[in-house]
Amino acid sequence: MESGPMSVDSAALDPPALPADGANEPKYGGHSRFELELEFVQSLANPQYLNYLASRKFLSNPAFVAYLDYLQYWTRPPYLKYLTFPTATLKMLELLQQEKFRQDIISPDLAHAMMLEWMKTAVEWHREG
Amino acid sequence: MDKDLDSRFERLEKALSGMIDTLAKNNPSEKVAEELVTAEADLFEALKLLEQHQKNLERIQQLRHETALYDAKIKEIATSLWNMRKELKAVPTTAEPPSGKKNQFTTAELLAYARRISRNTLPLPGVTNGVDMSAAGPSNQSTEPEDSFRLQSQPTQTQTPNTSFNLSFTGIAVGTPGGTSSAPTPNTATDTQQTTQLPPSQPPKTTAEDKLPQHLKPAINPLQNAAFHPWPTEAQIRSGALASIQRLVDAGIDPKGYDPEEEERRRKAEEQARREAEERARQEREAAERRMREERERMARERELARQRELEAAGGLDRRDSVAVGREKPKQFTFLGADDDDDDEDEDD
Repeated sequence: MESGPMSVDSAALDPPALPADGANEPKYGGHSRFELELEFVQSLANPQYLNYLASRKFLSNPAFVAYLDYLQYWTRPPYLKYLTFPTATLKMLELLQQEKFRQDIISPDLAHAMMLEWMKTAVEWHREG
Repeated sequence: MDKDLDSRFERLEKALSGMIDTLAKNNPSEKVAEELVTAEADLFEALKLLEQHQKNLERIQQLRHETALYDAKIKEIATSLWNMRKELKAVPTTAEPPSGKKNQFTTAELLAYARRISRNTLPLPGVTNGVDMSAAGPSNQSTEPEDSFRLQSQPTQTQTPNTSFNLSFTGIAVGTPGGTSSAPTPNTATDTQQTTQLPPSQPPKTTAEDKLPQHLKPAINPLQNAAFHPWPTEAQIRSGALASIQRLVDAGIDPKGYDPEEEERRRKAEEQARREAEERARQEREAAERRMREERERMARERELARQRELEAAGGLDRRDSVAVGREKPKQFTFLGADDDDDDEDEDD
């Protein structure tokens, strides 16, 4: 999925079945769509990965933008509780819906600034706590 | 009403004409005059009644108009109520059941989720302490051993947790100087608070570290190379399911419907079946060999018996001897000795 061909007319899908009731789901390389999309949506939380995707022109692909919109089902129950990196994932997913952010993240400086900002927040949170 | 009024009017007219007649005849009559007055009074009364009648009619009409108005209003309210009811009935059927069901969770579930995400939302307290300590100068309240520890091991102690934290945080060290200078600077102000906030395990740790040689200190520091990432790291992404699918695609395999574990299982099952078949074949072969061996032994025994019978039939002179030879094969080769024995026995006999 990282560099696979994507066509604009890829069909809009419903969110995948939950692991409990998706026993007969078709598998891709041994993984269900739920697992793959969960992994991908959380990978998007990594600024470096986003920078990489932007540099490969994915973030300006209309099909990919539509896919990002589709991935927003992770912000709602019952999918929400499966995120193990909820803070960054939700924020990045929100930012990725904005055209400006999709364009700006191609700059490594922005990715690096985001990382520093996150680190600073963590340090300061502990100091306040 | 009109008839009543007409009759009274007629009466007045009649009385008036009678009066005029009497006046014209120059013979006024008091009776006629009185009749005229009563008729007039009567007419006035009737006119008042008519006025009242008209007023009532007007009032009735007004009321009728009002009722019509209110009827229309009631009708309108009833229709809007009906519409609202219809809308209300239409809405909850779609919205209510999911909202009631999907957001239910128990305290245990919530706690389990909190535990699961806690290591990914904020770094462990010690990790940031390391960062804070890097900027901290010698504190005013610090005791003698702690102070000496600081002076002595500041280069390593300040560097190790800080760089590891920074490195893990930024992945590839891109312009870390900006991060190291910007993050620790505010800490100097709150340095004393920070040292007081440190866990009570700090003093023993410092003494232990104090005695250890330089190169062993990282080994007992639990924060050494402590990493925190609020998102999946590059290594995690590279070792994930998506990457494995990419590898499958690169290898020319369509990942749809392809399950490496399933393939592995099938391969193992085939292997197992093959091994079982081999085992079975081996057992069958052994059984056949055993049967053959038994058969051969049986044939040998039969041949032996036949030979003995032949010997018995042919010899017949010394039956006892031949039987003894047939029974005890070894004695066949110690012919002389056996013969001696037999001779002895014969002598005894």
